[in-house]
Amino acid sequence: MMVGDHPMKTKISALVDGELDLRELDTVFDALDRDDVPRETWRLYHLLSDAMRDTSLRSAGFSARFAEKLAVEPTVLAPGRLPAERGRWMALSAAASLAAVALVGWLAFAPAPGTAPGVLPGAPLASAPQATRVHSASTEGVRPVMRQTLEPRRASAPLPMRVLLLEATNDYLLAHQEFSPRSSLQGMAPYVRTVSAPIVEGMRR
Amino acid sequence: MNGAALGARVLALSLAWTAGCASAQTMPEARALLNRVYEATQTLSYTGTFVFQQGQRNETSRVTRRASAAGDVERLEVLDGSPREIVRTKDGVRCYLPQARTLKIGHGGGARGFPALLPARMDALLQHYTVRLGPMDRVADRACKTLTMEPKDDFRYGYALCADAESGMLLRAITLNEANVPVEQFTFTRLVIGDVHAEAVEPRYATRSWRIEEASVRPADLAAEGWRIESNLPGFQKIVEVVRESGARHRIGQIVYSDGLAAVSVFVESAEGRREPLSSGAVNVGGINIYVREVGDHVVTVVGETPAASVRRVADHVRYQRPQ
Repeated sequence: MMVGDHPMKTKISALVDGELDLRELDTVFDALDRDDVPRETWRLYHLLSDAMRDTSLRSAGFSARFAEKLAVEPTVLAPGRLPAERGRWMALSAAASLAAVALVGWLAFAPAPGTAPGVLPGAPLASAPQATRVHSASTEGVRPVMRQTLEPRRASAPLPMRVLLLEATNDYLLAHQEFSPRSSLQGMAPYVRTVSAPIVEGMRR
Repeated sequence: MNGAALGARVLALSLAWTAGCASAQTMPEARALLNRVYEATQTLSYTGTFVFQQGQRNETSRVTRRASAAGDVERLEVLDGSPREIVRTKDGVRCYLPQARTLKIGHGGGARGFPALLPARMDALLQHYTVRLGPMDRVADRACKTLTMEPKDDFRYGYALCADAESGMLLRAITLNEANVPVEQFTFTRLVIGDVHAEAVEPRYATRSWRIEEASVRPADLAAEGWRIESNLPGFQKIVEVVRESGARHRIGQIVYSDGLAAVSVFVESAEGRREPLSSGAVNVGGINIYVREVGDHVVTVVGETPAASVRRVADHVRYQRPQ
């Protein structure tokens, strides 16, 4: 699998780091939706990012911890930024990607502990073939992040919580706006909140 | 501090709030102006450009309204960043998101009855806000009348408005928090009142091959489904109770409360399929606050044009008991 110099590469890297301009989210998600290369890039960067945070990468317990980490990730409501580490792993990416590819190949076939083969703990056994961002006009809530299934040949890194919240937020806002009396004083203007990438100051526990 | 100095300070503070208004207690006139804004918003044809400001973000949009016998149509186009568009007709709301190639359709949930909400609830509204006329100002090269709505408690935000002297259209609307700091602001930079052609409210996108997201909305009785939901905010009365359904499995209950101006929505949905407990949390989107928590295998999301403490208060009081 070659990631190469796909134009999305830098943007996906920024997305993984939580540094992507919110206005570019649609473009990147479109690419992730349609194209295999960006999706592979996304997955690879996540693995690299995780690997760089985990210095004991080659220790025997890594795959178990990795699976646990993926399972736990959805409950992290605001993934932290890791600006200091970014430059480091970007620089190492050429060398590290080979190792990562090998790791992915292996991980992809390794059953996560306590689950059916190829299914992450925390993922329902329903037949969602891959992480999907097809949202209904209603609210998808914070749920979609739980729907990560790992196909035997394709490990999918969970989409960042913050991004899912942004999308769901717009759906909630639209559903709310339909009934808000503010419209009777301001017409359509308040609806601008429902189609924008809002500046969300973050989930706070 | 002697009595006179204290009195002077109090006077100065109140003058600061009312922007030096000499006739701070002209409630009937202020009320009349609010009604005029309402009438203008419901009846006029216009096209204009406004800036939406929230935190560090500034976004310019064009809004067009065409009143006609066949039914009024309104269109909102975001002019900065990725193009987005919303068209509202008597049949509901359609959101065009060309980059995601997605059309979101909302049915307005019987929104026909809602424009009447404000005048009908003016008396109730004035129990929770002190409305005062301020001095004349100028926005988008038009003379406008300032109007402040000061909340009588901390459960709601305050507003500083400016209404076009000629038409009554709201040219500026600032939402203020309890510290009197703006949390979001709408300001027209251009407004033209009068004839609007039909093409001006036509969406520019053909949506063939787009993903369509649509939910049906119908009245519901969430109490019968085991929910105990109350506004727990003074003056916020229930205005609607519905269920939104899309697909076979997605079903979301929604109850909306309003004090006549601000609204709070409570969304409840099943957390089925989730194995991890959901952490509760708060999200701020300018003048809107959101609070999420889990209640008995369900996710409760409260969205309100109110301070964060108010949406949390509503969310914290939601109870669920599975029907026998």
